[in-house]
Amino acid sequence: MNFRYLAIEARLVLRNSRFTVFTVVMPSVLFLIYCGLWAKNGATYPDGSPVAASLMVAMAGYGSMGAALSTGAQIAMERGIGWQRQLRLTPMSGVTYMLTKGLLAMLMAFPTIALVSLLGVIQGVELGGGQWFRLIFGLWLAAAPFAVLGIMIGQYATVDSLQPIVSGLMMVLGLLGGMWIPAQIVPDWMQNIMKITPTYWLREVGQAAFAPHPVLGTAAAVLGGYAVLAGLLAARRYVTDTARV
Amino acid sequence: MTTTATVQAGTAVSLTGLHKRYGDLRAVDGIDLTIAPGEVVALLGPNGAGKSTTVDMLLGLSRPDAGDVRIFGKTPREAVRAGVIGAMLQKDNLRANATVRETIEIVATLHGKPGRVAPTMATVGITDIAKQKCGKLSGGQKQRVRFALAMVSDPDLLVLDEPTVAMDVEIRRQFWRSMREYTDAGRTVLFATHYLEEAEEYADRVVLLRAGRVIADGTVAQVRSAASGRTLRAVVPDATEAQLAALPGVTSLELRDGRAVLSCADSDATVRALLHRHPEAHDIEIAAVNLEDAFLALTGEDAR
Repeated sequence: MNFRYLAIEARLVLRNSRFTVFTVVMPSVLFLIYCGLWAKNGATYPDGSPVAASLMVAMAGYGSMGAALSTGAQIAMERGIGWQRQLRLTPMSGVTYMLTKGLLAMLMAFPTIALVSLLGVIQGVELGGGQWFRLIFGLWLAAAPFAVLGIMIGQYATVDSLQPIVSGLMMVLGLLGGMWIPAQIVPDWMQNIMKITPTYWLREVGQAAFAPHPVLGTAAAVLGGYAVLAGLLAARRYVTDTARV
Repeated sequence: MTTTATVQAGTAVSLTGLHKRYGDLRAVDGIDLTIAPGEVVALLGPNGAGKSTTVDMLLGLSRPDAGDVRIFGKTPREAVRAGVIGAMLQKDNLRANATVRETIEIVATLHGKPGRVAPTMATVGITDIAKQKCGKLSGGQKQRVRFALAMVSDPDLLVLDEPTVAMDVEIRRQFWRSMREYTDAGRTVLFATHYLEEAEEYADRVVLLRAGRVIADGTVAQVRSAASGRTLRAVVPDATEAQLAALPGVTSLELRDGRAVLSCADSDATVRALLHRHPEAHDIEIAAVNLEDAFLALTGEDAR
């Protein structure tokens, strides 16, 4: 792995204002707005979990999900415009390219988690050191399946379909995953739908740091399943792609 | 074409029995080609002749259905890994969001040669636009950036796929000037083009492709004469078409108001006989057929 290459790529992603607005600024602003609306005076949801901390997890999770997904999916653009052909004339292998993109997606998922957590502290979220660690590190690890999902989309999408697919998926995963409408306040039937999405479980990973009834095992299994599935689909496409070239 | 010297020097490129089909289309239909180190070779042909497909297989971007590619004795992938091939690909493939410097840095760093960024930019003349985003560059500037990408690994073999498409005349000339500096250092160049003047002016050797096959291969002069010899123009009062057609070496002719245009396979024989049989002939001009005519003759309708 070439870390200098990784660093240049990171700079390119962070400079993209579309990326910063939708995956860093928007979740942070929404968090502050929602806190102002619902999280007064140490409010809690019916299940006992604190509102402010839950909103913080939802928005940090949403931002990191979007960051990982859209960064991985950039592969489609690089393939579509022919930049990948240029890269294939360098000593870097195709597998290393994918791994670098995956690592890049993970790196890009972190800033929004850190920023929203910092805003959480300012908004009065009180957690122990171990809880903070589990929340931040857990959310960050749970972003990995979305990096893989992004890479998979990057393998199938075209330059033109890339943006609508990524934006659409972020919206669907945000809504259905209970990141915009808290899962604690929706009817049971809707909660059951939410449980199909990987984002619901991403949020559960974060919640597990402070929730009265954490469900970390199921969350890890579902997220792992999504990661494996997306990884297999991406690998399949990669193999047929290289055979075709 | 192969001389003892080039054999001793080894080969830069060796293509043997190369085939590639896309469905029913035989894009490359049996190409054999050997290029010696230091040669500047033009791969000339109309659109669809198989130039880009050949270049892609040469670079390892596409796998041949049959046949073998060797670059300095290595497979394309090995050669790429060793950094001996640099290529300028056909279409604009730069990332709009990256600056010129970043673009070149990425490729240089992946080759393990980050120190080559500055000198390459200086050679190609893009140091002044290093901080600009690629999306904001003019066509000619983009072309130079892509040329820099090909050069940055300091390759022994440079492959250019239609390098000057969409360049205006002045930029095209500049481009070939910097190309010259590169080839003067004894490196090998293969460029695909459908501009005849470029092949004529810059290549030591022209390989003419048509429908996936090599139909002519030699120096510019050789390809020209292989195609259709020379044109003899003269004013020959009172001569008839039949008389002129009977001259040795004449393959076809046009006669109007005593002005004759003879296409000759052997213009020396023709001119001797002409002066002997028609002493009144005057204003005689003999010209080599230009490559464009040769090209049209060899590639037929496809060229248009």
